[in-house]
Amino acid sequence: MTPLLEVEDLVVEVRHQSSAFRAVNGVSFSLERGAALAIVGESGSGKSLTLRAIMGLLPNSGRLLSGRVVVGGVELDPGARGYGRGHRQRERMSIVFQDALSALNPVATVGHQIAEAPRHVLGLSRHASRQRAMELLRQVGIPDPERRYGAFPHELSGGTRQRVMIAIALSSDPAILLCDEPTTALDVTIQTQILALLADLRAERGLSLVFVTHDLGVVGQVAEELAVMYTGRLVETGPTAQVLAAPRHPYTAGLLAAALDVDTPDREPLAIPGSLPDPRQLPSGCTFHPRCALATLECATTDVVLEPVGPLRQAACLHSDQLALLQAAPSRG
Amino acid sequence: MARAEVNRAHAAADTPGPDRAPTPALLEVEDLSVFFAVEHGRLLRAVDEVSFSVGRGEVLGLVGESGCGKTTVAKCIVGQITPTTGTLLFEGRKLGSQRRAEDRRAIQMVFQDPYSSLNPRMSVRQVLRELLRVHHLVPSSGIERRCRELMDLVGLPADALDGLPSQFSGGQRQRIAIARALAVEPQVIIADEPVSALDVSVQATILRLFEDLNSRLGLTIVFISHNLAVVRRLSGRVAVMYLGRIVEEGDRESVFSDPRHPYTRALLGAAPRLHQTELARPSVKGEPPSPIDIPPGCPFHPRCPRAEAVCSADRPVLESVQTGAWHLAACHFRHEAALNAQGAMPLPEPEETSESAEEAP
Repeated sequence: MTPLLEVEDLVVEVRHQSSAFRAVNGVSFSLERGAALAIVGESGSGKSLTLRAIMGLLPNSGRLLSGRVVVGGVELDPGARGYGRGHRQRERMSIVFQDALSALNPVATVGHQIAEAPRHVLGLSRHASRQRAMELLRQVGIPDPERRYGAFPHELSGGTRQRVMIAIALSSDPAILLCDEPTTALDVTIQTQILALLADLRAERGLSLVFVTHDLGVVGQVAEELAVMYTGRLVETGPTAQVLAAPRHPYTAGLLAAALDVDTPDREPLAIPGSLPDPRQLPSGCTFHPRCALATLECATTDVVLEPVGPLRQAACLHSDQLALLQAAPSRG
Repeated sequence: MARAEVNRAHAAADTPGPDRAPTPALLEVEDLSVFFAVEHGRLLRAVDEVSFSVGRGEVLGLVGESGCGKTTVAKCIVGQITPTTGTLLFEGRKLGSQRRAEDRRAIQMVFQDPYSSLNPRMSVRQVLRELLRVHHLVPSSGIERRCRELMDLVGLPADALDGLPSQFSGGQRQRIAIARALAVEPQVIIADEPVSALDVSVQATILRLFEDLNSRLGLTIVFISHNLAVVRRLSGRVAVMYLGRIVEEGDRESVFSDPRHPYTRALLGAAPRLHQTELARPSVKGEPPSPIDIPPGCPFHPRCPRAEAVCSADRPVLESVQTGAWHLAACHFRHEAALNAQGAMPLPEPEETSESAEEAP
């Protein structure tokens, strides 16, 4: 079976003042129907721009240099004019952003915003699209939809706004939902509610999910597949549980060692040495080598690419085998 | 952990009864309330009768979600907000809104966002020199040496003194903000979400710095965060806030391995976990109500899986759960340990069972 979504060699150039750099550099992945992929990375890794490029929603400073997006066997051109209104919606992709307050229209009622796509994309009647919006409000767990239909975004709490944004994303009946840190701005008790909602929607509608986050603590709950991103490239991919249990890229291992876990307070968190490199002056070879404990001279000169490191798993590291041995030897923390 | 042991030793020497704070208090907050007048003559109760104390050399973690009042408490302590009612005592002296320079110096704050809390046009040296001069802390001949000492203390090279804030990464800026707080030789640091804006890979180094300041300089720290993992790592004692009130307070391990308030259980159940691959089903319904319209009785009862009729009628006060350790909870059912029935959160397995066993009476 062909994958529902295929992304190939996505390259996004960002102009900043007089310089330009590749914020996304050759990202490729595919997603089966009904599957969920989490893309994890720190700020500036290019994870959000990857989603925006797929949606054809790059900011003015960004430009798509190359890349193919294939949905259900149909090739799209995200760089084309009119991509947003035409192809993308026909092929049924929607996006949910982190900051619902700035993503929603402040001068339109939430009901109006949810009913827009049913009316103009799916071509339903005014009455039917209103009914549809009510139903969606109910589905995303907003009580009393009749009353909330006429509310403006500023009248709602953060969690409810995020539910509204999910309802808008669902209103065009998408097959793929792209989520850009949808729970990062929310409190943890609300975060669990939204994650549970996404899981329920996946189960009910067979939705496919791409979930971008900086939080390794939630990826296991939302997605079976994980991709780790660093300086615009994917450095490791594989089944989430396997990657978390035995990372095969030193950056993934570093992120896991640096993260605190509420259940193991006495485990010493270890920061990754150095800091994220300036995207305009990325290190040669493997961009992680100046911060990497396993780095050798070769790492600075060889362009590393994702290569298979086991069934279902890929890593972009020359010393991936060594990392596997290190993990096998001492007991893991 | 050495620090936790020291805190416990303190506690043991002072024989903590269930009604006494475990360490001699350096900073005491008594019945602190902050109300703001909002439209239609109504009151927003940001902080409602909060009391706690912090012992010298102790790290107190203040946990809660956005809007629970934790930052308002912090601002009262440093004197940025004048409380509506209540008293603040520092070394037994009352702190008013008009403070002596000495008292202002003694309590310093570190903010969440190192990008907006540093003057972008002043070099690090200028920032520190100004502070040292204004407060007459060192003779002018010694200022440069003190600046270098401060850089060393927060783990930055001496040539960082010449830089402007924009030339540093987020983690380095937070170090500079900490150096600025330390310049006036404070006794207490109030750190308000100091690592929340930082990337995971640098959070650990800033946490280590706080640990060092506490263990090496004996600095007292009030550490405010929504992140339970960070608070559990750093604090000797923890207070959990909900809707302007402390709902649970106690020694770190009492609260984390035997939480007695359903809200604390919900927070723990919802905390992100690295190796969790099952979805954590939410145990509390809905969202926190508005602090303008606080529910009667226990403010948590509309969302609480354990609530009974009594909860909407009587407001529970913060009382000892009587496990022998220093542990208070404001819940009618605080004597019930978490059973995985009655809708209580399935508890995570704490790893250090041996340690908590030792602590048990």
